[in-house]
Amino acid sequence: MISAFKVLKEQLNSFYLMMRLSMYELKIKNNNNYLGMLWEILNPAIQISVYWIVFGMGMRNNSNVGDVPFLQWLVAGIVIWFFISPAILQGSKSIYTRIKIISKMNFPLSVIPSYVIFSILYPNAMLLGIIAVIFQFTDKKISLYYLQLPYYMLAAVALVFSLSLITSTLSTIVRDVQMFVQSIMRMLFYVTPILWNPFENENLPKFLLYLVKANPFTYIVEGFRDALLSRGWFFENSQQSPHLEYTLYFWGLVLVLFLIGSTLHVKLRNRFVDYL
Amino acid sequence: MSKTVVVSNVTKKFKMYKKPAEKLLDIILPKGYGEDFYAIQNISFEADQGDVIGIVGVNGSGKSTLSNLISGIIPPTSGTIELNGEVSLIAIASGLNNELTGRENIELKCLMLGFSKQDIKKLEPEIIEFADIGKFIDQPVKKYSSGMKSRLGFAISVTVDPDILVIDEALSVGDQTFADKCLDKMNEFKERGKTIFFISHSMGQVKKFCEKILWLEYGEVRDYGPMKEVLPKYQAFLKEYKAMTKEEKKRFKEQVQLKQSGKATPKKELQPTAEEK
Repeated sequence: MISAFKVLKEQLNSFYLMMRLSMYELKIKNNNNYLGMLWEILNPAIQISVYWIVFGMGMRNNSNVGDVPFLQWLVAGIVIWFFISPAILQGSKSIYTRIKIISKMNFPLSVIPSYVIFSILYPNAMLLGIIAVIFQFTDKKISLYYLQLPYYMLAAVALVFSLSLITSTLSTIVRDVQMFVQSIMRMLFYVTPILWNPFENENLPKFLLYLVKANPFTYIVEGFRDALLSRGWFFENSQQSPHLEYTLYFWGLVLVLFLIGSTLHVKLRNRFVDYL
Repeated sequence: MSKTVVVSNVTKKFKMYKKPAEKLLDIILPKGYGEDFYAIQNISFEADQGDVIGIVGVNGSGKSTLSNLISGIIPPTSGTIELNGEVSLIAIASGLNNELTGRENIELKCLMLGFSKQDIKKLEPEIIEFADIGKFIDQPVKKYSSGMKSRLGFAISVTVDPDILVIDEALSVGDQTFADKCLDKMNEFKERGKTIFFISHSMGQVKKFCEKILWLEYGEVRDYGPMKEVLPKYQAFLKEYKAMTKEEKKRFKEQVQLKQSGKATPKKELQPTAEEK
Protein backbone atom coordinates (compact mmCIF):
# COMPACT_ATOMS: atom_id res chain seq x y z
CA MET A 1 0.00 0.00 0.00
CA ILE A 2 2.70 2.44 1.01
CA SER A 3 4.64 1.72 -2.17
CA ALA A 4 1.51 2.29 -4.23
CA PHE A 5 1.11 5.78 -2.75
CA LYS A 6 4.81 6.42 -3.23
CA VAL A 7 4.62 5.55 -6.92
CA LEU A 8 1.47 7.61 -7.40
CA LYS A 9 3.05 10.59 -5.67
CA GLU A 10 6.13 10.35 -7.87
CA GLN A 11 3.92 10.36 -10.95
CA LEU A 12 2.08 13.47 -9.86
CA ASN A 13 5.17 15.33 -8.69
CA SER A 14 7.07 14.80 -11.89
CA PHE A 15 4.28 15.45 -14.33
CA TYR A 16 6.09 18.19 -16.25
CA LEU A 17 9.24 16.08 -16.36
CA MET A 18 7.20 13.17 -17.70
CA MET A 19 5.66 15.27 -20.46
CA ARG A 20 8.99 16.71 -21.62
CA LEU A 21 10.75 13.37 -21.50
CA SER A 22 8.01 11.69 -23.50
CA MET A 23 8.27 14.40 -26.17
CA TYR A 24 11.99 13.74 -26.44
CA GLU A 25 11.35 10.03 -26.55
CA LEU A 26 9.07 10.54 -29.52
CA LYS A 27 11.65 12.72 -31.18
CA ILE A 28 14.46 10.21 -30.71
CA LYS A 29 12.31 7.49 -32.23
CA ASN A 30 11.38 9.39 -35.36
CA ASN A 31 14.54 11.39 -35.89
CA ASN A 32 16.18 9.03 -38.31
CA ASN A 33 13.23 8.45 -40.63
CA TYR A 34 12.59 10.86 -43.46
CA LEU A 35 8.84 10.44 -43.11
CA GLY A 36 9.10 10.91 -39.34
CA MET A 37 5.75 11.06 -37.61
CA LEU A 38 3.95 9.97 -40.77
CA TRP A 39 4.96 6.41 -39.93
CA GLU A 40 2.70 6.52 -36.90
CA ILE A 41 -0.21 6.54 -39.37
CA LEU A 42 1.27 4.61 -42.28
CA ASN A 43 2.13 1.60 -40.17
CA PRO A 44 -1.37 1.06 -38.76
CA ALA A 45 -2.90 1.73 -42.18
CA ILE A 46 -0.85 -1.04 -43.76
CA GLN A 47 -1.66 -3.46 -40.96
CA ILE A 48 -5.37 -2.69 -41.06
CA SER A 49 -5.56 -3.29 -44.79
CA VAL A 50 -3.84 -6.65 -44.46
CA TYR A 51 -6.19 -7.75 -41.68
CA TRP A 52 -9.18 -6.52 -43.65
CA ILE A 53 -8.19 -8.55 -46.68
CA VAL A 54 -7.32 -11.72 -44.77
CA PHE A 55 -9.90 -11.77 -41.98
CA GLY A 56 -12.66 -9.66 -43.51
CA MET A 57 -12.72 -10.57 -47.17
CA GLY A 58 -10.94 -13.89 -46.93
CA MET A 59 -12.53 -15.50 -43.90
CA ARG A 60 -15.99 -13.96 -43.59
CA ASN A 61 -16.83 -12.76 -47.09
CA ASN A 62 -16.88 -9.20 -45.80
CA SER A 63 -20.14 -9.80 -43.92
CA ASN A 64 -21.22 -7.19 -41.42
CA VAL A 65 -20.65 -7.44 -37.70
CA GLY A 66 -24.06 -6.55 -36.34
CA ASP A 67 -25.05 -3.55 -38.43
CA VAL A 68 -21.50 -2.33 -38.99
CA PRO A 69 -19.21 -3.21 -41.93
CA PHE A 70 -16.33 -5.45 -40.84
CA LEU A 71 -13.70 -2.88 -41.74
CA GLN A 72 -15.28 -0.24 -39.54
CA TRP A 73 -15.75 -2.70 -36.69
CA LEU A 74 -12.11 -3.76 -37.04
CA VAL A 75 -10.79 -0.20 -37.08
CA ALA A 76 -12.86 0.86 -34.06
CA GLY A 77 -11.38 -1.96 -32.00
CA ILE A 78 -7.83 -2.16 -33.29
CA VAL A 79 -7.01 1.53 -32.89
CA ILE A 80 -6.26 1.24 -29.18
CA TRP A 81 -4.30 -1.96 -29.77
CA PHE A 82 -1.79 0.16 -31.67
CA PHE A 83 -1.20 1.83 -28.33
CA ILE A 84 -1.48 -1.15 -25.98
CA SER A 85 0.87 -3.52 -27.75
CA PRO A 86 3.91 -1.24 -28.26
CA ALA A 87 3.31 0.43 -24.89
CA ILE A 88 3.56 -2.87 -23.05
CA LEU A 89 6.58 -4.03 -25.04
CA GLN A 90 8.46 -0.74 -24.68
CA GLY A 91 7.26 -0.26 -21.14
CA SER A 92 8.63 -3.57 -19.97
CA LYS A 93 12.09 -2.89 -21.37
CA SER A 94 12.02 0.77 -20.42
CA ILE A 95 14.02 0.47 -17.23
CA TYR A 96 16.89 -1.78 -18.17
CA THR A 97 17.60 0.07 -21.40
CA ARG A 98 17.75 3.45 -19.67
CA ILE A 99 19.05 2.91 -16.20
CA LYS A 100 22.63 3.64 -17.26
CA ILE A 101 21.73 7.06 -18.61
CA ILE A 102 19.69 7.95 -15.60
CA SER A 103 22.70 8.30 -13.49
CA LYS A 104 21.23 9.72 -10.33
CA MET A 105 19.35 7.80 -7.76
CA ASN A 106 17.05 10.68 -6.86
CA PHE A 107 15.45 10.50 -10.28
CA PRO A 108 12.11 8.79 -9.63
CA LEU A 109 12.54 5.52 -11.48
CA SER A 110 8.83 4.82 -11.62
CA VAL A 111 8.53 7.72 -14.05
CA ILE A 112 10.51 5.83 -16.69
CA PRO A 113 7.76 3.40 -17.74
CA SER A 114 5.17 6.15 -17.61
CA TYR A 115 7.01 8.57 -19.87
CA VAL A 116 7.72 5.80 -22.33
CA ILE A 117 4.02 4.92 -22.31
CA PHE A 118 3.02 8.54 -22.85
CA SER A 119 5.38 8.85 -25.79
CA ILE A 120 3.35 6.12 -27.47
CA LEU A 121 0.02 7.61 -26.44
CA TYR A 122 0.43 10.93 -28.33
CA PRO A 123 0.64 9.48 -31.83
CA ASN A 124 -2.14 7.07 -30.91
CA ALA A 125 -4.42 9.94 -29.91
CA MET A 126 -3.62 11.53 -33.27
CA LEU A 127 -4.50 8.30 -35.04
CA LEU A 128 -7.75 8.12 -33.11
CA GLY A 129 -8.57 11.67 -34.19
CA ILE A 130 -8.01 10.83 -37.85
CA ILE A 131 -10.15 7.70 -37.55
CA ALA A 132 -12.92 9.68 -35.87
CA VAL A 133 -12.89 12.15 -38.76
CA ILE A 134 -13.08 9.34 -41.33
CA PHE A 135 -15.99 7.80 -39.41
CA GLN A 136 -18.05 10.94 -40.04
CA PHE A 137 -18.41 9.79 -43.65
CA THR A 138 -20.06 6.53 -42.55
CA ASP A 139 -23.39 5.68 -40.90
CA LYS A 140 -21.89 5.88 -37.43
CA LYS A 141 -21.42 9.58 -36.87
CA ILE A 142 -20.29 11.48 -33.82
CA SER A 143 -22.54 11.10 -30.78
CA LEU A 144 -22.52 11.62 -27.05
CA TYR A 145 -20.94 8.18 -26.75
CA TYR A 146 -17.69 9.74 -28.00
CA LEU A 147 -17.36 11.26 -24.55
CA GLN A 148 -16.28 7.83 -23.37
CA LEU A 149 -13.12 7.89 -25.47
CA PRO A 150 -10.99 9.76 -22.90
CA TYR A 151 -12.32 7.43 -20.21
CA TYR A 152 -11.32 4.31 -22.10
CA MET A 153 -7.98 5.84 -22.96
CA LEU A 154 -7.37 6.49 -19.28
CA ALA A 155 -8.37 2.89 -18.59
CA ALA A 156 -5.86 1.69 -21.18
CA VAL A 157 -3.08 3.85 -19.70
CA ALA A 158 -3.87 2.67 -16.16
CA LEU A 159 -3.80 -0.97 -17.18
CA VAL A 160 -0.65 -0.67 -19.28
CA PHE A 161 1.16 1.29 -16.59
CA SER A 162 0.30 -1.22 -13.86
CA LEU A 163 1.44 -4.08 -16.06
CA SER A 164 4.63 -2.25 -17.05
CA LEU A 165 5.54 -1.70 -13.41
CA ILE A 166 5.57 -5.46 -12.99
CA THR A 167 7.20 -6.41 -16.28
CA SER A 168 9.81 -3.63 -16.28
CA THR A 169 10.97 -4.67 -12.82
CA LEU A 170 11.08 -8.36 -13.64
CA SER A 171 12.75 -7.89 -17.02
CA THR A 172 15.49 -5.78 -15.45
CA ILE A 173 16.36 -8.69 -13.21
CA VAL A 174 15.77 -11.50 -15.69
CA ARG A 175 16.04 -10.39 -19.31
CA ASP A 176 14.05 -13.41 -20.50
CA VAL A 177 10.89 -11.83 -19.16
CA GLN A 178 10.99 -9.49 -22.14
CA MET A 179 10.84 -12.46 -24.51
CA PHE A 180 7.99 -13.90 -22.49
CA VAL A 181 6.06 -10.64 -22.66
CA GLN A 182 6.60 -10.53 -26.41
CA SER A 183 5.05 -13.91 -27.04
CA ILE A 184 2.22 -13.28 -24.59
CA MET A 185 1.35 -10.08 -26.44
CA ARG A 186 1.35 -11.86 -29.77
CA MET A 187 -1.03 -14.41 -28.30
CA LEU A 188 -3.26 -11.79 -26.69
CA PHE A 189 -3.75 -10.10 -30.04
CA TYR A 190 -5.73 -13.14 -31.16
CA VAL A 191 -7.40 -13.88 -27.83
CA THR A 192 -8.74 -10.34 -27.62
CA PRO A 193 -11.75 -9.82 -29.93
CA ILE A 194 -9.95 -7.58 -32.40
CA LEU A 195 -9.99 -9.59 -35.62
CA TRP A 196 -12.91 -11.89 -34.85
CA ASN A 197 -16.09 -11.51 -32.87
CA PRO A 198 -16.59 -14.29 -30.31
CA PHE A 199 -19.91 -12.81 -29.19
CA GLU A 200 -21.71 -13.55 -32.46
CA ASN A 201 -20.66 -17.19 -32.50
CA GLU A 202 -23.27 -19.27 -30.68
CA ASN A 203 -21.31 -22.52 -30.93
CA LEU A 204 -18.47 -21.19 -28.80
CA PRO A 205 -18.25 -22.96 -25.41
CA LYS A 206 -19.33 -20.79 -22.48
CA PHE A 207 -16.00 -20.99 -20.65
CA LEU A 208 -14.16 -19.68 -23.69
CA LEU A 209 -16.39 -16.63 -23.71
CA TYR A 210 -15.64 -16.07 -20.04
CA LEU A 211 -11.95 -16.40 -20.78
CA VAL A 212 -12.18 -13.80 -23.52
CA LYS A 213 -14.03 -11.48 -21.17
CA ALA A 214 -11.65 -12.06 -18.28
CA ASN A 215 -8.92 -10.61 -20.48
CA PRO A 216 -8.85 -6.94 -19.43
CA PHE A 217 -7.88 -5.86 -22.94
CA THR A 218 -11.29 -7.05 -24.14
CA TYR A 219 -12.85 -4.43 -21.88
CA ILE A 220 -10.84 -1.67 -23.52
CA VAL A 221 -11.23 -2.84 -27.11
CA GLU A 222 -14.97 -3.39 -26.74
CA GLY A 223 -15.23 -0.08 -24.91
CA PHE A 224 -13.68 1.73 -27.85
CA ARG A 225 -16.26 0.09 -30.08
CA ASP A 226 -19.05 1.12 -27.73
CA ALA A 227 -17.85 4.70 -28.02
CA LEU A 228 -16.94 4.91 -31.70
CA LEU A 229 -19.92 2.88 -32.92
CA SER A 230 -22.38 4.42 -30.42
CA ARG A 231 -23.24 1.11 -28.79
CA GLY A 232 -23.53 1.90 -25.07
CA TRP A 233 -22.13 3.40 -21.88
CA PHE A 234 -19.61 1.87 -19.52
CA PHE A 235 -21.91 2.39 -16.51
CA GLU A 236 -25.01 0.92 -18.16
CA ASN A 237 -26.28 -2.28 -16.63
CA SER A 238 -28.80 -4.50 -18.33
CA GLN A 239 -29.38 -8.21 -18.71
CA GLN A 240 -27.70 -8.40 -22.12
CA SER A 241 -24.80 -6.07 -21.39
CA PRO A 242 -23.70 -5.95 -17.76
CA HIS A 243 -21.34 -3.06 -18.40
CA LEU A 244 -21.18 -1.82 -14.85
CA GLU A 245 -20.14 -5.19 -13.45
CA TYR A 246 -17.53 -5.48 -16.14
CA THR A 247 -16.24 -1.98 -15.35
CA LEU A 248 -15.92 -2.87 -11.67
CA TYR A 249 -14.11 -6.09 -12.54
CA PHE A 250 -11.69 -4.21 -14.79
CA TRP A 251 -10.78 -1.57 -12.22
CA GLY A 252 -10.48 -4.16 -9.49
CA LEU A 253 -7.97 -6.03 -11.63
CA VAL A 254 -6.05 -2.85 -12.43
CA LEU A 255 -5.85 -2.04 -8.73
CA VAL A 256 -4.48 -5.49 -7.88
CA LEU A 257 -1.91 -5.28 -10.70
CA PHE A 258 -0.91 -1.79 -9.60
CA LEU A 259 -0.43 -2.89 -5.99
CA ILE A 260 1.72 -5.83 -7.06
CA GLY A 261 3.66 -3.71 -9.54
CA SER A 262 4.43 -0.84 -7.21
CA THR A 263 5.43 -3.16 -4.37
CA LEU A 264 7.82 -5.05 -6.64
CA HIS A 265 9.17 -1.84 -8.14
CA VAL A 266 9.81 -0.03 -4.85
CA LYS A 267 11.28 -3.11 -3.25
CA LEU A 268 13.77 -3.83 -6.00
CA ARG A 269 14.58 -0.49 -7.60
CA ASN A 270 17.60 0.23 -5.43
CA ARG A 271 19.23 -2.85 -6.80
CA PHE A 272 18.40 -2.33 -10.48
CA VAL A 273 21.92 -1.19 -11.33
CA ASP A 274 23.38 -4.35 -9.84
CA TYR A 275 21.48 -6.45 -12.34
CA LEU A 276 22.90 -4.79 -15.44
CA MET B 1 34.95 22.95 8.69
CA SER B 2 31.96 20.77 8.13
CA LYS B 3 32.12 17.32 6.67
CA THR B 4 30.52 16.93 3.25
CA VAL B 5 31.23 13.28 2.57
CA VAL B 6 31.53 10.63 5.25
CA VAL B 7 32.21 7.16 3.96
CA SER B 8 32.20 4.50 6.64
CA ASN B 9 33.01 0.83 6.21
CA VAL B 10 31.77 0.72 2.66
CA THR B 11 32.05 -2.52 0.78
CA LYS B 12 30.91 -3.17 -2.76
CA LYS B 13 30.61 -6.77 -3.78
CA PHE B 14 29.94 -7.85 -7.33
CA LYS B 15 28.98 -11.32 -8.35
CA MET B 16 30.77 -13.03 -11.19
CA TYR B 17 28.79 -15.55 -13.13
CA LYS B 18 30.05 -18.05 -15.66
CA LYS B 19 26.65 -18.49 -17.27
CA PRO B 20 23.49 -16.37 -17.26
CA ALA B 21 21.72 -19.27 -15.58
CA GLU B 22 23.87 -18.72 -12.50
CA LYS B 23 22.43 -15.25 -12.19
CA LEU B 24 19.00 -16.78 -11.88
CA LEU B 25 20.23 -19.23 -9.25
CA ASP B 26 21.69 -16.33 -7.32
CA ILE B 27 18.30 -14.62 -7.21
CA ILE B 28 16.39 -17.73 -6.25
CA LEU B 29 18.72 -19.37 -3.73
CA PRO B 30 18.57 -17.71 -0.32
CA LYS B 31 22.33 -17.90 0.15
CA GLY B 32 23.13 -16.70 -3.33
CA TYR B 33 25.30 -18.26 -5.94
CA GLY B 34 28.37 -17.32 -7.90
CA GLU B 35 31.86 -16.09 -7.22
CA ASP B 36 32.24 -12.95 -5.16
CA PHE B 37 34.31 -10.04 -6.32
CA TYR B 38 35.04 -7.24 -3.89
CA ALA B 39 35.62 -4.09 -5.92
CA ILE B 40 35.69 -2.03 -2.73
CA GLN B 41 36.50 -3.49 0.66
CA ASN B 42 35.74 -1.81 3.93
CA ILE B 43 36.67 1.71 2.96
CA SER B 44 36.30 4.60 5.40
CA PHE B 45 37.28 8.21 4.92
CA GLU B 46 35.95 11.70 5.35
CA ALA B 47 36.05 14.78 3.20
CA ASP B 48 35.63 18.41 4.28
CA GLN B 49 34.26 21.41 2.54
CA GLY B 50 36.73 22.80 0.06
CA ASP B 51 38.72 19.61 -0.16
CA VAL B 52 40.09 18.59 -3.50
CA ILE B 53 40.83 14.93 -3.28
CA GLY B 54 42.70 13.07 -5.96
CA ILE B 55 41.84 9.39 -6.19
CA VAL B 56 44.77 7.43 -7.56
CA GLY B 57 45.54 3.79 -8.06
CA VAL B 58 46.45 1.34 -10.80
CA ASN B 59 43.82 -0.12 -13.12
CA GLY B 60 41.23 -2.19 -11.36
CA SER B 61 41.82 -0.70 -7.95
CA GLY B 62 38.21 0.41 -7.64
CA LYS B 63 38.48 4.10 -8.52
CA SER B 64 35.50 4.18 -10.80
CA THR B 65 33.46 2.00 -8.49
CA LEU B 66 34.18 4.41 -5.67
CA SER B 67 33.18 7.38 -7.81
CA ASN B 68 29.94 5.65 -8.74
CA LEU B 69 29.30 4.92 -5.08
CA ILE B 70 29.89 8.50 -4.04
CA SER B 71 27.64 9.86 -6.76
CA GLY B 72 24.93 7.42 -5.84
CA ILE B 73 24.75 5.56 -9.12
CA ILE B 74 25.25 2.23 -7.43
CA PRO B 75 24.34 1.40 -3.85
CA PRO B 76 26.96 -0.04 -1.49
CA THR B 77 26.65 -3.67 -0.44
CA SER B 78 27.32 -2.71 3.15
CA GLY B 79 28.37 0.39 5.03
CA THR B 80 27.08 3.91 4.68
CA ILE B 81 27.87 6.98 2.65
CA GLU B 82 26.71 10.24 4.13
CA LEU B 83 26.47 13.16 1.75
CA ASN B 84 25.71 16.75 2.60
CA GLY B 85 24.72 18.34 -0.66
CA GLU B 86 24.11 17.58 -4.29
CA VAL B 87 26.58 15.36 -6.10
CA SER B 88 27.42 15.61 -9.76
CA LEU B 89 29.47 13.04 -11.62
CA ILE B 90 31.40 13.93 -14.71
CA ALA B 91 32.55 11.05 -16.79
CA ILE B 92 33.28 11.02 -20.50
CA ALA B 93 30.01 11.62 -22.37
CA SER B 94 27.99 10.62 -19.37
CA GLY B 95 24.28 10.61 -19.95
CA LEU B 96 24.26 12.22 -23.37
CA ASN B 97 21.80 10.90 -25.91
CA ASN B 98 23.34 10.39 -29.31
CA GLU B 99 20.19 11.06 -31.32
CA LEU B 100 19.43 14.43 -29.78
CA THR B 101 21.19 17.72 -30.39
CA GLY B 102 23.43 19.30 -27.80
CA ARG B 103 20.77 21.83 -26.90
CA GLU B 104 18.16 19.13 -26.39
CA ASN B 105 20.58 17.12 -24.34
CA ILE B 106 21.08 20.08 -22.06
CA GLU B 107 17.37 20.27 -21.36
CA LEU B 108 17.05 16.52 -20.97
CA LYS B 109 19.93 16.26 -18.54
CA CYS B 110 18.75 19.24 -16.51
CA LEU B 111 15.25 17.82 -16.33
CA MET B 112 16.59 14.55 -15.06
CA LEU B 113 18.63 16.36 -12.46
CA GLY B 114 15.38 17.83 -11.21
CA PHE B 115 15.53 21.41 -12.45
CA SER B 116 12.41 23.42 -13.16
CA LYS B 117 11.49 24.97 -16.47
CA GLN B 118 12.64 28.46 -15.44
CA ASP B 119 15.95 27.21 -14.06
CA ILE B 120 16.70 25.43 -17.29
CA LYS B 121 15.98 28.52 -19.35
CA LYS B 122 18.48 30.41 -17.24
CA LEU B 123 21.12 27.68 -17.26
CA GLU B 124 21.05 26.87 -20.96
CA PRO B 125 22.98 29.90 -22.28
CA GLU B 126 25.57 29.51 -19.52
CA ILE B 127 26.14 25.89 -20.43
CA ILE B 128 26.39 26.64 -24.13
CA GLU B 129 28.89 29.38 -23.47
CA PHE B 130 31.05 27.20 -21.28
CA ALA B 131 31.00 24.24 -23.66
CA ASP B 132 32.00 26.56 -26.50
CA ILE B 133 31.36 24.15 -29.34
CA GLY B 134 29.87 26.70 -31.73
CA LYS B 135 27.35 25.60 -34.31
CA PHE B 136 27.58 21.99 -33.20
CA ILE B 137 25.24 22.74 -30.31
CA ASP B 138 22.32 22.22 -32.70
CA GLN B 139 23.75 19.05 -34.24
CA PRO B 140 23.00 15.55 -32.96
CA VAL B 141 25.55 14.42 -30.39
CA LYS B 142 26.46 11.40 -32.52
CA LYS B 143 28.27 13.79 -34.84
CA TYR B 144 30.41 15.17 -32.04
CA SER B 145 34.05 14.37 -31.57
CA SER B 146 34.94 12.79 -28.24
CA GLY B 147 36.41 16.11 -27.15
CA MET B 148 33.16 17.92 -27.85
CA LYS B 149 31.19 15.31 -25.96
CA SER B 150 33.32 15.68 -22.89
CA ARG B 151 33.14 19.47 -23.17
CA LEU B 152 29.37 19.42 -23.26
CA GLY B 153 29.19 16.85 -20.47
CA PHE B 154 31.56 18.87 -18.35
CA ALA B 155 29.75 22.13 -19.07
CA ILE B 156 26.41 20.68 -17.99
CA SER B 157 27.73 19.09 -14.82
CA VAL B 158 29.65 22.19 -13.80
CA THR B 159 26.94 24.74 -14.48
CA VAL B 160 24.28 22.97 -12.47
CA ASP B 161 26.31 24.07 -9.46
CA PRO B 162 26.68 20.90 -7.39
CA ASP B 163 28.08 20.86 -3.86
CA ILE B 164 30.16 17.78 -4.46
CA LEU B 165 31.80 17.13 -7.78
CA VAL B 166 33.19 13.79 -8.93
CA ILE B 167 35.38 13.96 -12.01
CA ASP B 168 36.21 10.60 -13.51
CA GLU B 169 38.95 10.93 -16.12
CA ALA B 170 36.79 13.43 -17.95
CA LEU B 171 39.62 15.85 -18.59
CA SER B 172 41.85 13.43 -20.37
CA VAL B 173 40.13 13.89 -23.73
CA GLY B 174 39.90 17.67 -23.82
CA ASP B 175 42.72 19.75 -25.26
CA GLN B 176 45.02 21.86 -23.13
CA THR B 177 42.99 25.07 -23.36
CA PHE B 178 39.79 23.36 -22.32
CA ALA B 179 41.55 21.49 -19.53
CA ASP B 180 42.88 24.82 -18.26
CA LYS B 181 39.39 26.31 -18.44
CA CYS B 182 38.07 23.41 -16.41
CA LEU B 183 40.85 23.71 -13.89
CA ASP B 184 40.02 27.41 -13.51
CA LYS B 185 36.39 26.55 -12.91
CA MET B 186 37.35 23.92 -10.38
CA ASN B 187 39.62 26.31 -8.58
CA GLU B 188 36.66 28.64 -8.33
CA PHE B 189 34.63 25.80 -6.83
CA LYS B 190 37.42 25.07 -4.41
CA GLU B 191 37.36 28.64 -3.19
CA ARG B 192 33.63 28.49 -2.76
CA GLY B 193 34.04 25.55 -0.43
CA LYS B 194 32.87 22.70 -2.61
CA THR B 195 34.27 19.22 -2.35
CA ILE B 196 35.84 17.80 -5.45
CA PHE B 197 36.94 14.24 -6.16
CA PHE B 198 39.37 14.04 -8.99
CA ILE B 199 40.18 10.74 -10.63
CA SER B 200 43.02 10.78 -13.05
CA HIS B 201 46.03 8.89 -14.24
CA SER B 202 47.75 12.11 -15.14
CA MET B 203 50.10 12.80 -12.24
CA GLY B 204 50.68 16.30 -13.59
CA GLN B 205 47.04 17.29 -13.25
CA VAL B 206 46.75 15.65 -9.85
CA LYS B 207 49.82 17.43 -8.58
CA LYS B 208 48.69 20.78 -9.91
CA PHE B 209 45.24 20.59 -8.52
CA CYS B 210 44.70 18.26 -5.60
CA GLU B 211 45.38 18.87 -1.93
CA LYS B 212 44.70 15.42 -0.63
CA ILE B 213 45.27 12.03 -2.14
CA LEU B 214 43.25 8.88 -1.62
CA TRP B 215 45.38 5.98 -2.77
CA LEU B 216 43.36 2.91 -3.56
CA GLU B 217 44.92 -0.46 -3.93
CA TYR B 218 42.71 -3.33 -5.01
CA GLY B 219 39.63 -2.13 -3.27
CA GLU B 220 41.26 -0.86 -0.11
CA VAL B 221 42.60 2.45 1.06
CA ARG B 222 46.36 2.15 0.95
CA ASP B 223 46.90 5.69 2.12
CA TYR B 224 44.95 8.88 2.63
CA GLY B 225 46.50 12.21 3.45
CA PRO B 226 47.93 15.47 2.14
CA MET B 227 49.13 15.40 -1.43
CA LYS B 228 52.73 16.13 -0.51
CA GLU B 229 52.96 13.08 1.72
CA VAL B 230 51.02 10.49 -0.23
CA LEU B 231 51.85 11.25 -3.83
CA PRO B 232 55.60 10.59 -3.56
CA LYS B 233 54.81 7.25 -1.95
CA TYR B 234 52.44 6.39 -4.75
CA GLN B 235 54.96 7.38 -7.37
CA ALA B 236 57.59 5.29 -5.64
CA PHE B 237 55.18 2.37 -5.65
CA LEU B 238 54.53 2.83 -9.35
CA LYS B 239 58.23 2.74 -10.04
CA GLU B 240 58.63 -0.36 -7.94
CA TYR B 241 55.66 -2.00 -9.64
CA LYS B 242 57.14 -1.29 -13.03
CA ALA B 243 60.46 -2.73 -12.00
CA MET B 244 58.97 -5.99 -10.75
CA THR B 245 59.94 -9.12 -12.59
CA LYS B 246 57.28 -11.17 -14.28
CA GLU B 247 57.32 -13.67 -11.42
CA GLU B 248 56.80 -10.99 -8.80
CA LYS B 249 54.03 -9.38 -10.76
CA LYS B 250 52.31 -12.71 -11.06
CA ARG B 251 52.54 -13.32 -7.35
CA PHE B 252 51.27 -9.84 -6.63
CA LYS B 253 48.26 -10.41 -8.86
CA GLU B 254 47.51 -13.75 -7.25
CA GLN B 255 47.41 -12.15 -3.83
CA VAL B 256 45.15 -9.51 -5.17
CA GLN B 257 42.79 -12.03 -6.66
CA LEU B 258 42.63 -13.91 -3.41
CA LYS B 259 41.93 -10.69 -1.60
CA GLN B 260 39.21 -9.53 -3.92
CA SER B 261 37.38 -12.83 -3.96
CA GLY B 262 36.91 -12.31 -0.22
CA LYS B 263 38.64 -15.54 0.73
CA ALA B 264 41.48 -13.97 2.62
CA THR B 265 41.29 -11.42 5.38
CA PRO B 266 43.68 -8.99 3.77
CA LYS B 267 46.49 -7.67 5.92
CA LYS B 268 47.20 -10.65 8.14
CA GLU B 269 47.72 -13.11 5.34
CA LEU B 270 49.78 -10.70 3.37
CA GLN B 271 52.48 -10.48 6.00
CA PRO B 272 54.13 -13.88 5.52
CA THR B 273 54.56 -13.27 1.83
CA ALA B 274 56.09 -9.91 2.60
CA GLU B 275 58.58 -11.58 4.91
CA GLU B 276 59.49 -14.08 2.26
CA LYS B 277 60.70 -11.28 0.14
